[in-house]
Amino acid sequence: MRDSWDSLPVLAQDLIIAGALLLPLLVIGGVLMRGFRPLPLVRALMWRFRWANLLFILLIAVSTGMGIGLIAQERGLRIGSAQAAEKFDLVVTAPGSELTMMLAAVFLQPSAVPLLDGVAYDRIANHPQVQIAAPIAFGDSHDGAPVVGTITDFVTYLSDGRIEGRIFARSGEAVVGAAIDLQIGDRFTPAHGRGSGADAEAHEGVEIEVVGRMARSGSPWDRAILIPVETVWEVHGLANGHTFEEGDRIGPPFTPELFPGTPAVIVHAGELWANYALRSEFTVAGETMAFFPGTVLADLYRVMGDVRQAMSVMSIVTQVLVAASVLLGLFILTRLFQRQLAMLRALGAPRRFVMAVVWGYGVTLLVAGTALGLAFGYAAALVLSRIVTQRTDILVTASITWAEVNLALGFLSAMSLLSLVPALVVLTRPVVENLRQ
Amino acid sequence: MAMPLQISDLEVRAGRRMLLTVAELSAPAGALIGIRGPSGAGKSTFLHALSGLIEARGRLCWGEVDLPRLRPERRTAFRARNMGLIFQDFLLFEELSPQDNAGLSGLFKPRRNREAIGARAAKALARLGVPEGTRTVGSFSGGERQRVAIARALATDPGLLLADEPTASLDRRAADALIEDLTGLARAGGKTLIAVSHDTHLLERLDRVLTIEDGQVTEDTGVQAA
Repeated sequence: MRDSWDSLPVLAQDLIIAGALLLPLLVIGGVLMRGFRPLPLVRALMWRFRWANLLFILLIAVSTGMGIGLIAQERGLRIGSAQAAEKFDLVVTAPGSELTMMLAAVFLQPSAVPLLDGVAYDRIANHPQVQIAAPIAFGDSHDGAPVVGTITDFVTYLSDGRIEGRIFARSGEAVVGAAIDLQIGDRFTPAHGRGSGADAEAHEGVEIEVVGRMARSGSPWDRAILIPVETVWEVHGLANGHTFEEGDRIGPPFTPELFPGTPAVIVHAGELWANYALRSEFTVAGETMAFFPGTVLADLYRVMGDVRQAMSVMSIVTQVLVAASVLLGLFILTRLFQRQLAMLRALGAPRRFVMAVVWGYGVTLLVAGTALGLAFGYAAALVLSRIVTQRTDILVTASITWAEVNLALGFLSAMSLLSLVPALVVLTRPVVENLRQ
Repeated sequence: MAMPLQISDLEVRAGRRMLLTVAELSAPAGALIGIRGPSGAGKSTFLHALSGLIEARGRLCWGEVDLPRLRPERRTAFRARNMGLIFQDFLLFEELSPQDNAGLSGLFKPRRNREAIGARAAKALARLGVPEGTRTVGSFSGGERQRVAIARALATDPGLLLADEPTASLDRRAADALIEDLTGLARAGGKTLIAVSHDTHLLERLDRVLTIEDGQVTEDTGVQAA
């Protein structure tokens, strides 16, 4: 049984789950409405209490949309951040907070972090399993965008070689991210620092020329300006990692004694399995710390997951409250309509028909509210995603998946079952008494 | 199909309180009968007993069917097949068109009967001069609404028409026109009409008038005539 289920395509599984969730609603609807035409009366009820109905539909929509939007947004952020960190197999930094180091090195969030010295870098770069050991140097910016010093191998690796123009070949050249408002051939002077505290005149006289543009990656590196790490050191009046005899050469190898320091080294191993050994080797107490950004993110997701769970509980509580208010509303509205419902019984309408009218009315509110809720949830996730993308440059895409649809269908089905209660209560009221009211 | 009425030892109670007793009463099929009496005398209770809407004891036979002996759902089905009910304040769905209101029974009748009910509703509406179109009855006058209610009662082609104060919500002119229509249609169709009313204009047009006081039939013009 389990094997046959697992052998089904995912879409088929989702459709089956959706069908199973909808089944109670369909069965109740089928049993109640078989052979009848209650819809004209449902329409009449909908129109009679249109404002109250609209309010109920909005209540259902907001409570459903809140839950759905929350889940969709959280998933979008998780996928977006994971994709943004995809290129960063292993990061080596000075000992400290992995989260702070990851946010600084992978997501380019400004932060003051200690530096690794030339010996440490040399040990990493010369390890036989290390294919790329990219020093990352930051601290400057241009027009709010971080200016990051690194090496050409890393730029090629980061952009998968998708570069318009060319990679920087000497100090004073730059490759910009896809979201940077600079064209190839443009020149700029970096400001010292980032944000409101940036000093635009600190590096006066330094001119950097844009020679290439990376394709969009959906990561904060789209809004970064990459320059040779030597340029960063030079504009800060430091040694550039090379001896005088090496001339204007850029990139590794660096002379450890002339290596001014780097906050992080991005490591790409030749083989995937080697990453675990490297993490172990580069984690040296009091000297260096190696971590997988993916693992740090997974920890972060776990915390986010707890928050999401708490918010999901709140959203479920809201939905239950809304469900209770909808049921209460159904009781009240059917009381307002009880003379007409009693008249139907007096005319000879079977109990099942009267139930079909009341239940159909309730379910119409629920279906409309849930459908609108899905749309609300999607719209909310879309707006939030755009805000997060704009602020972090992590490409967050909102999408409604079968999980959200099934959540909505489950709510709908459960509520359709509960809607039988007011429909049954209507039948317990004496016809003659209701006719006389 | 109109059916004769035969009542003996009929009792309607609310708990231990006796609301209505009718020792003997009979009426031939197609009779037009009025019921009058002071408020709270038991007129509507009698009408509800005749329609099987309330529990009663004794015999109340429409033709061969002894209504109090039927289970509630069988009484509902009997009502759906044989009775057309007209209420004082019409009890229409104001959001629906006159045609939809008049053909209301078609919504819960078997599919095969729907077309016939729709056609009869349309014919009754035309005969009663109800304006055609897509307007909902919410915009209708009282007289027009009561005509729609009569068309609704006639749409299932019942043998029995039971009306509770059918002219009470209408002005004199509209009431007279309605009396003309209601009695005319009942006679033309050979239907039994039983109407609770204070309206002397209506009662004068009927074959026989029962007076109910304190839950008992105290006067029966049909008996006097005999």
